[in-house]
Amino acid sequence: MKRIMIDYMKCDGCKNCTAACMQAHREEQGTIYDLDLTDPKNESRNHILSDGRGGYRPIFCRHCDLPECVMSCMSGALSKDSVTGVVSYDVNKCGSCFMCVMNCPYGVLKPDTLTRTKVIKCDFCMEKGGEPSCVKNCPKKAIWVEEVQA
Amino acid sequence: MNNCFGCNTCKSADKPLEEFIANLPMETSHHRVESQSTKCNFGLQGVCCRLCSNGPCRITPDAPRGICGANADTIVTRNFLRAVAAGSGCYIHVVENTALNLKNTALVKGKIKGERALERLCSIFGITSGDLYEKAEKVADAVLSDLYKPEYVKMELVEKLSYKPRFDKWKELGILPGGAKSEVFKGVVKCSTNLNSDPVDMLIDCLRLGISTGLYGLVLTNLLNDVLLGEPELRTAPVGLRVIDPDYINIMITGHQHSMFVDLQERLIQPDAVAKAKAAGAKGFKLVGCTCVGQDLQLRGSHYKEVFNGHAGNNYTSEAILATGAIDAVLSEFNCTLPGIEPICEELKIKQICLDSVAKKANAEIMEFDFAKREQQSNEIIDKIVGAYILRRGKINVDFSNADKEWKPLIDMLVGAYNSIHQDVNLNLMPEHGNDHTLTGVSEVSLKEFLGGKWKPLIDLIVAGDIKGIAGVVGCSNLTAGGHDVLSVELTKELIAKDILVLTAGCSSGGIENCGLMTPEAAKLAGPKLRAVCEKLGIPPVLNFGPCLAIGRLEIVATEIAEELGVDLPQLPLVLSAAQWLEEQALADGAYGLALGLPLHLGLPPFITGSKVAVKVLTEDMKQLTGGQVIINPDAKESADILEKIIMEKRSALNI
Repeated sequence: MKRIMIDYMKCDGCKNCTAACMQAHREEQGTIYDLDLTDPKNESRNHILSDGRGGYRPIFCRHCDLPECVMSCMSGALSKDSVTGVVSYDVNKCGSCFMCVMNCPYGVLKPDTLTRTKVIKCDFCMEKGGEPSCVKNCPKKAIWVEEVQA
Repeated sequence: MNNCFGCNTCKSADKPLEEFIANLPMETSHHRVESQSTKCNFGLQGVCCRLCSNGPCRITPDAPRGICGANADTIVTRNFLRAVAAGSGCYIHVVENTALNLKNTALVKGKIKGERALERLCSIFGITSGDLYEKAEKVADAVLSDLYKPEYVKMELVEKLSYKPRFDKWKELGILPGGAKSEVFKGVVKCSTNLNSDPVDMLIDCLRLGISTGLYGLVLTNLLNDVLLGEPELRTAPVGLRVIDPDYINIMITGHQHSMFVDLQERLIQPDAVAKAKAAGAKGFKLVGCTCVGQDLQLRGSHYKEVFNGHAGNNYTSEAILATGAIDAVLSEFNCTLPGIEPICEELKIKQICLDSVAKKANAEIMEFDFAKREQQSNEIIDKIVGAYILRRGKINVDFSNADKEWKPLIDMLVGAYNSIHQDVNLNLMPEHGNDHTLTGVSEVSLKEFLGGKWKPLIDLIVAGDIKGIAGVVGCSNLTAGGHDVLSVELTKELIAKDILVLTAGCSSGGIENCGLMTPEAAKLAGPKLRAVCEKLGIPPVLNFGPCLAIGRLEIVATEIAEELGVDLPQLPLVLSAAQWLEEQALADGAYGLALGLPLHLGLPPFITGSKVAVKVLTEDMKQLTGGQVIINPDAKESADILEKIIMEKRSALNI
């Protein structure tokens, strides 16, 4: 199965991955030129944090082998695909308890800003062919996809 | 050559050129497109602000304002105004130097090639007294004095140069420009850190800069050059890499300041200069056109048949032209001189001389053009270029038959030794590239003369619907928007297929002509009505006005047609497209197009889409302000459909 790998030393904090994620998950179709960067509906599933010492911490979903989010999800909204390894989220099953948010060891998952009723979760861009947009748009190649043992 | 350097070059509308570049043993800009394909998404939308040390600030849902408080609208329009001001500054630099060259020529009673053009300017400016030289000086002074006015003093020639309904509109909108150089200054000041934050105010400044750029940087530069260099005359000429003749010492020129080459052009064909070339083993000198200065020489080529060999290609063809190995020197004097030519020149031992420090290339020798020293400079340039030729391709070819008998064997031995170890630079020519009968020399004057001295025949064709409308496909070439010239060429094909006559100017025309659309045979690509018109008149469906500066000529054509019809410019079935705009200068051109009230299509957005206000003002509100509008679309077919629809709306509003 595939996983996004990160070399934080290479990250320049340009947030191109953030904008690419917003573009990949926007509701209305369009180009990157007309993506509304101020609209909270266009939320990114990844985050770039400052480490406070001039460096950056790119935070991406690990699609963990033993995903705490899945294990803590009582409604079955989160599940791990045994073949692809992707941890996916079904908004229709979500009970908005946010146990997954509390249990994610990486602090990736978060409630959506506008309604606080669903979880913003990386889907590995499976609908876009399984090649994550963030990876495609990183100019520093600080993130990449690697095949890992399940 | 089989050793492919990168094998990942970008596409070009010019397929033979694409193949040539893909097989080069050196890197060009076409090879670098792939490695630069990850673009900064904030930059693309214009919402990255680097004006102060708090930044770069970028706009996201969590951060809708920069640290200073500037929102997306302010950040975008500040960046945009900055770009337009810089672009305007570039054009104003060109017109300033051109006017200075005209003035200096007049003072030394030098050659005035376009007396009729001078009379035309005198009549526009209201200059009636004086001989030829006094008049030329007065014309130059009138331009310079306007350029040097402060921003709070309106330029005097604006009213004389502009169409009355437009001038009135500009006055009503309060966008009549002050001194053109000062307008650039003000624009730059206004968008500095924590000054102006009003997006609409800054967009209005862009229009003002557009007017000063258009009337002075575009229209007047052409008309002043007509006086100095001679007026364009219709003729057919060869284009493409085929124009490079390896039997000659070839000088590639890049830039926009044609008047700097006046003396050199004359010197290159004088017997003593030709003798120097012959001594080095060449037949003489040839100028090879590249970028807009090459387009302009092509336009006026009937005056320089002996020395000008034709236009080889646009800005993004320049590396390929050098890679043929047959160019011995590059003379650069302004923009569109890619930094990417430097390593190629170094590798192929091509001499680079820069005539204007604003365009100093890293490994070029600087020889700032000095009118008073022009003859001496021309001689120096010739000697340096001959020296480069000898290093690159020369055999020692001097007649030593009269040498002292005692020294003769030694001389022969030395010459023989040199010739045996000297290795010529490899030639990689492309003699079939381009075509040999592109129609050129089209100007507002030559076209009107072709039509019998009046615009009526063209207007009649438009009214009858044989020509549905006119599209100006102008501006730059870039390597995005589908690849090198891809959108410009495809859009042009779509437009002519819809019976829309296309007029071109700028690097776009360099690509379109190399693809054969300016030969009379291209008529078969036009729609049935336009095809019939072209075949009857023996003209192509795409008329080349030459350099980007000649966008000013297109707009004179438009103005004269509007005047004859008694309508304002926005009413004409006329559209503009800078499909593959590249630089800040293009944005200043575009601002002129909007001030004139014309619909302006762009293949790629000018880094403004992050601002809802900027998008709304430029694409919608502008229609109420000046009549103009920006249309952004990267697809050739869709764009042609949109432009056709606008033309049809304008036709029905005119009841034709």
